[in-house]
Formats: sequence, C-alpha cells, structure tokens
Amino acid sequence: MSDLLEIKNLSVSFRTPQGEVEAVRDVSFSLHPGEVLAIVGESGCGKSVLCRSIMKLLPRNAWIKGGTILADGTDITRYSQRDMDRLRGRLFSMVLQDPMAALNPTMTVGAQIAEAVRIHQPRMDRAAVRRRVLELMELVGIDRPEDRYGRYPFDFSGGMRQRSVMAIALACGPKVLFADEPTTALDVTIQAQILDLLRDVQARLGTASVLVTHDLGVVARAADRVAVMYAGRIVETGTVEDIFYDPRHPYTWGLLRSLPAWAKEDEPLYTIPGMPPSLLHPPKGDAFACRNEYALAIDYQEAPPMFQVSESHFAATWLLDERAPKIAPPLGGGLNG
Amino acid sequence: MDDILLDVQGVSHCFRLGKNTVLRALDGVSFQLRRGEIFGLVGESGSGKSTMARCIMSILRPTAGAIRYLGVNICDPGQFRAHKELLQTSRQLIFQDSASSLDPRMTVADIIAEPMAIHRARPPRGSLRNEAAFQLKCVGLDQGCLDRRPGELSGGQRQRVAIARALSMGPELLVADEPIASLDVSIQAQIINLFRHLQEEHGFTFLFIAHDLAVVRYLCSRVGVLYQGKLVEVGPAKEVFADPRHPYTRALLSAIPIPDPRRERERVPQSFDPAQFCREGRLREVSPGHWVLEKEGES
Amino acid sequence: MRQKNPFLYYGGKLVGFAVSLFLLSLAVFYVARLAPGDPLVSYYGDRAEKMTVQERTRAEERLGLDQPIHVQYVRWLEGAVRGEFGISYKYKTDVIEVIAARLPNTLLLGGIGFAVIFAGALALGAICAWNEEKWLDRIICKAGTVVSCIPEFWLSLVLILVFAVQLRWLPSSGAYTIGGGGIGDRAVHLVLPLVVTAAGHLWYYAYMIRNRLLEELRSDYVLLAKSKGLSRRAVLVRHCLRGIMPSYLSLMAISVPHILGGTYIVETVFSYPGIGTLSYESARYQDYNLLMILCIISGGTVILCNILAQIVSERIDPRMRADTPPEVTDHG
Repeated sequence: MSDLLEIKNLSVSFRTPQGEVEAVRDVSFSLHPGEVLAIVGESGCGKSVLCRSIMKLLPRNAWIKGGTILADGTDITRYSQRDMDRLRGRLFSMVLQDPMAALNPTMTVGAQIAEAVRIHQPRMDRAAVRRRVLELMELVGIDRPEDRYGRYPFDFSGGMRQRSVMAIALACGPKVLFADEPTTALDVTIQAQILDLLRDVQARLGTASVLVTHDLGVVARAADRVAVMYAGRIVETGTVEDIFYDPRHPYTWGLLRSLPAWAKEDEPLYTIPGMPPSLLHPPKGDAFACRNEYALAIDYQEAPPMFQVSESHFAATWLLDERAPKIAPPLGGGLNG
Repeated sequence: MDDILLDVQGVSHCFRLGKNTVLRALDGVSFQLRRGEIFGLVGESGSGKSTMARCIMSILRPTAGAIRYLGVNICDPGQFRAHKELLQTSRQLIFQDSASSLDPRMTVADIIAEPMAIHRARPPRGSLRNEAAFQLKCVGLDQGCLDRRPGELSGGQRQRVAIARALSMGPELLVADEPIASLDVSIQAQIINLFRHLQEEHGFTFLFIAHDLAVVRYLCSRVGVLYQGKLVEVGPAKEVFADPRHPYTRALLSAIPIPDPRRERERVPQSFDPAQFCREGRLREVSPGHWVLEKEGES
Repeated sequence: MRQKNPFLYYGGKLVGFAVSLFLLSLAVFYVARLAPGDPLVSYYGDRAEKMTVQERTRAEERLGLDQPIHVQYVRWLEGAVRGEFGISYKYKTDVIEVIAARLPNTLLLGGIGFAVIFAGALALGAICAWNEEKWLDRIICKAGTVVSCIPEFWLSLVLILVFAVQLRWLPSSGAYTIGGGGIGDRAVHLVLPLVVTAAGHLWYYAYMIRNRLLEELRSDYVLLAKSKGLSRRAVLVRHCLRGIMPSYLSLMAISVPHILGGTYIVETVFSYPGIGTLSYESARYQDYNLLMILCIISGGTVILCNILAQIVSERIDPRMRADTPPEVTDHG
C-alpha cells in the first residue's frame, strides 16, 4: 500500500499498417511517495509510451496488452476514460517536452491555470480561483504573477512557459508528476532552473515524479532512482548511486561510456555498435544481444530475468547469473573512476 | 597569415521584425578559423549562432562587417560573383535536422552525387555512383545504403548521408549547425567520432555550432561563446573550460549537469544576475589566444 | 502590450474599404461598356431597332451615353456620392427602388443559407471528429462526397421534380404565393432553394472542420489539457473548437461570395425574385446603372466580410495582432 504506483508486467502495443509494434514489453516498476524516478533510454525505447499508458493518454491505435497498473492501491488497468478524468490532475498530471506546444496559444496563461484549478473544484468562486492561480504561479517561480496572469503563452520565454505548464500540472496537488523530457527543448541555464524547481516542488509538496529523459546529466542532477529502458523493457533499475557507480547491465555501461564528459581527450568516444532493434518484430532473447560485446550464447535464446544485485538494485542480464563468466565492468565509480 | 581560412570581421546582422522593432542577432562579431581546426561556437537559443552560420554560408548578408574566406570578401557581391564556383563548392553546411534536409524521394546515391551533378564536376572516380560509394565509405556506411531512401535510414545514418553529401564536392570548410542535437546519446558519439576522424585524417576545417558544452569541450580545439549576438569570450577550448573569464561563460558552464550524482549534489546551485553579463566594451587578451569581452578601463 | 489607437486602426481599414470600392466601380464601369450589345434595347425594347439615326442620337444624349467613357464615369460617380445611382433602363425607375424590392429576398435566402452552412458544417465536422473513423464519421464523409459532386442546377431540378411536381409538398418557384402569403408561405418557398444552397457548400466546410479538429486533437496542448483532468468533450469544445475558430471564421468570410454566387444560380433556377436574377438580367441587357449598383453591393459585401474576418480573428487569436510584444524573460 505504500507505493503510489505499482506497475506489474505492463505491455503496450501499437497497431500500425506494418503490424503490431510492441512499444512496452513486460515492464514492472514501482514509485515510492516523494521520490524522483528517472526513466532513461534512447528515442523509441518506449519511455514516453510507458508514462502515457499509465495516464491512459495513448493514441487510438495503442492498447494495453497485459499487466496491471495499481495507482494508490487501486487497480486502474480497466478504467474507462471517464473514470480516468477524475484521476487525472488530482492523482497524477504531466509536464511535456515543448512548453510552447503544450499551452493553448489562444488562451491566457492565467485562464489555463485557472481551468486546471476549477476542474476538480467546480464550486470554487472566482476570487478564490484567482487567488489559487496566483499562488501557483508564485510557487513555480513566476514573479509578478499579477502582471502575467492575463498574458498569452507567446509573450513568455521558454523557461517561463515551462513554469506555467508546471503550475497547470500542480494545480490540483497531484501525488505523481510525469515529466516527459521537461528540459530537452530548453537552454542549459534554463534547464538547470527547471530541474531545481522540480526538486524544490518535490521537497515542498512531497509530490513524487517520474522523470523521462535521455540525458544522463539531468538524471544525475534530479533523480533519486533510475530505470534504464531499452527496446521496450526495463533493463536495469536502482538508485542513482547504483546506476552511476556500480552499473551492471552492458547497455548501461555503453550509455555511460559514450558520454563526452567521460572521454579521455585524445581517445575516440566509446560507441555502442549497431542500432536499436525494430519493435515491429522484437528479436528473440535479449534485444541488446547483437550490440553487446559481452553477449553470451543464451542471450540469443532467452530473455534474461531481473537479477537482484542489492536491495535496491536490479539488472536484466545473464552476466549476473551464477553460471556466467565473471567480467570486470569497463567502468564504475563515477567520473574519476 | 596563411593558415587562416575564414576571417570574420565585425559582423553584425539585424532582422526587421516590424516597423519599429529591429532584432540585433549579431553585433560586431569577429573571429578567425585556422585551416584544419575544429572551432566551436556555443551559445543559447537566440544568441545568434545559427545566424552566424547562415552569414558564413552566404545565405544571409550581414548588415555590417566583412567575412573573408580564403581572402575573398564574400559579403561583397562583386567579389562573390568573381569567385562563385570556388565559394559554392568549398564551403558546405550540415544541418541539425537531417530528416528534412534530405529529399525523401531521392536515393542515397543521388543525394550524395547531386552537388556534383549540379556543378557538372568531373567525378574523379569514374562515375557519380562510384563517387557516392566512396563518400559513403568515408562516413562509415556500407554500400548497401546506396539505393535506399532517407525514410529507410535511422537518424544517425541520415546524418552520415548528409555529411557524405557535404564531402562530395571536396570542401575545405564544413559548417555544422547543431549536427548532433537531435540524435540519441549513443549515435551522437558515433557522429562526434566521425567529425574527429574527418578533421584528423583528412584535414577538413569545421565550424561546429552547438549548445552541448560537453561535446564542444571534447571535440573542439578553440571555442567562441556567443551571448545575445556578442562574442563574449574566445580562446583555446581547454583554457576556456578550465578558466572561464566572462561571467556568462561561467554561468553557462556551471549550468551543465555533470553525469555524476555525487559531484552534481555537491555543487552549490549558482544563480547569476544577467545584469552582470557585460555586453559592452571590447575583447581583451587575457592570455595568449584567449580573449574576453570587458568594459574598457577595467582590468 | 502596446495598444493600438482604435481610431487609426479602424479608420485605416475604412479607407482601404473605400479605395477598394472605388477601384471596383471603375473596373466594372469600363468592362461593362466593353461588352457587346445595345443598352438602348433594354430601355426602348423593340422600338430601339426601328429608330432613325437622329432618334438614336437623341436617345443616347438623354441617357448620357454619347459622352466619352471617363466623363460618363465622373458623372456617375458624382451621382453615386450623393446617393443617386440613376435609373434602371429596363424598369425605368430608380435603381434603388428596383433593388429595394429584391434585396430582402436575397438577404433572407443568403443569410439563412449562410447560417445553415456555418452552423451545420461546425456541427457535422465536430460530430465526425468526435467519432473519428467510426461508422457515423464514415457515413457522413461518404455522403458528403457524393452530394457535393452533384451540380446545383441538376439537384434543383430533381428536387423540383420530386417535391413540387410529384409529391406537391412544396412550391417550385417564387418567393411567395401571389396574392396570399404570410411567414409560413415564405418559409415554404424557401425550403428547396435553401436545401440546394446548403447542400452544395456544407460538406466542404464540414470536412475542413473535421480535419482541422483532428489535427488539433493530436497536438500537445490537448494532451496537457487531458492530463489536467479535462474530459474529451470539454477539450474538444473549449480548446480545439476555439483553436480553429479564427481560421474558420476567416475562411467563412472569404467564402461569402462563393455562397452568394451559389444563391444567384439557385435564384435563377427557382425563379426566386432576388438580386441574383436581377444581376443576370442587368448584365444581359446592358442595364448599366443597375449593374453598377449590384456590383457595388456584392463587392462591398465581400470586402466588408474580409475586413470583418480579420477583425474577428484578431479578437479571438492573440497571435494575429500585428505588434510583437516584449518577451517575459526568465530573468525577469
């Protein structure tokens, strides 16, 4: 009962003219109250689909193939859109990548936040709504909220827009915030501010967040726990320390090693050979096997289960099986190691 | 000096937005590109870095200043016409979004050979197709891609094709405008390695425009920092990153998240007042080759 | 945001309107006189053909047709500014009176027709978008394609045949029964012309609404609106319809002449005594004065609608307002 979200064996597929695309395959994870869980992976690994399937905001050609979603202890897997309307905004809400596209260009920012406030408190009177909106704008660091209440999104800079989206997302005090690449479209200096805001909101309101990103720097800055996704599966999960200082999955190794920040100056950057597989017909066995220099014969036959490394740390690689050859990890211990 | 390939002198560019609004995208920017180096131009959105690339490629004409490429002032229409052939073939641009810069109806072979066909260049390797195959090999793709179309390629492969097309005319200067921003981490690394390989082995000169400072630090020999159309700091990459002098450079560097949680947490979040980011004054040399924009009279 | 001076703003638009009208009248005036035909025929009827040369000259003098074109135009313009548009050659009365008798009929048909198309397209488009790719959407889209392919005059004839001749439910022509007539009578006469007017245009706009709505429904702001707990219907009505309104309104305003042109054909087929039939006659019989004022009225309506569309979309969509406002910065 303590977990806000508990996802068990969730699979999500898309119907396309070419056939069924298995975007999320047998994913399980949980979100504890008040933590930031980062979901890391490359584009197309299913990290955004995972979030949207939990909020039931998938496009029409997608469906949940199997598994259960427990939100605050209730099974919402079979919930209708109408049931979801009552949960969205109150139990969970979302921040998107491009704040300009996420705001309605024809409504003032104040009106859009007010709308979010009013959805779950329809009886609130005008003055109270306005007070609440101003309070929210202050919370997300929009100064002089009185002046900005009546402005349109295009009057705002990128960072201010993303703050407005945050205000909308936080309007009804959700317990879970899904942040889907919230800083990718922003400049680095603004990115830092938004990440700090995310952590600040966390500390003040106790909101738990799922932070979807491809940027490991962002993960290091903002996350408590990390789930690494590859080809629709979670391949490794653990605390940030587990993932950055003691990674166990070869894909996590590859991701970390290919960062320029880790590179020695005159050596070429490490690259993961090959490309991610198509999820139209996912390969048998471990999807990463053909790019994995440590691949074992069994990787091509059977998908590895989740092996437990420590109390908080799990990884899906046959290398952790007791019969596997012992391999010294190519990295560990952070930037200096 | 002989080894200066591109000399940008006091270039300004203004966009007219309305009757009374003028946007100064570039404001008196000067820097030089030496033959065979990778020069990084960093800045945030709106700093004018893409405008700079477009001025250098003669897509935009600067409102003031001069750009000399191999001694030819490309801002002067007369000189430009006189050296049109040279200018159009030896400078090439690589875009951020390779998906939209490649014609989806053409095959890879046609895309790579198109610049040669346009300039009616005699292919040194017999046929245009051989030429395309050669360039493809250069950027690390196999021959099987020749007859595919951009839609069938991944993002990283498309960017390689775009690079191969740029290489096909045997250019000297490659201007890469955010060439890796839309790629995934593991693919980014491949393209960065390719750039490095092209510079080291084939001696191409790059103007590498990016907002990702970690990549610039790794790849570039020298770096210039643009802030609201002004070049605020320029110098050897190592030095600028180790010892940033301009407050804006410092703010920028401190904002990059480091992929190391402990270090990241130890860092004190810094807040900067943009009022401190001086945009006035002139560049002063603080150490050999390292210039910082400072107010006159201050030391 | 910098506020524009409303007097200057609307004044400018008004000046533009006047200039456009002036240019229009000039063009129509010259082009009408280039067309072959004898204006005297419409005034004197058959008598014109039997006239002697002297009689003709005198007649032309009387109507002012002997002067060079530009003098004629200046004279017409002088009159027009005073509100005198001359007499109709055919009806031998002031053109204003001729039109005054017909205009309400056309306004009724065109106005109701426009309203039906406007609201109908919006409703149909929204229904289709709501039921995207379900049977209702498919049926409406298919039906629309078929109906909009039928030429208006043919549809009119079929409808007349079925409802007026065979079933005798509805009258086949006219705007009211001669001698009788109340509101009910007029309404009955309007049904068939309205159906034809609407059927020709409705589908095109409905289809456009559907596609624009679907486009909006896939955008990020809809995702955010849903994620804050707004129901799908509220998103469609409050966000998407609002989003497409500016472009829809300007499109509809621009389409006024289109729909107007449609009613002209419909009027002719149904012998409906409106401006349409009158325009046709005036052009055919070189009834210059009548033609001029009809063109001015039609053209004025079109230009006015365009200006209106612009004003309306600027009111609804803040991005359309011309000035770029100062940006609210992060460091602000």
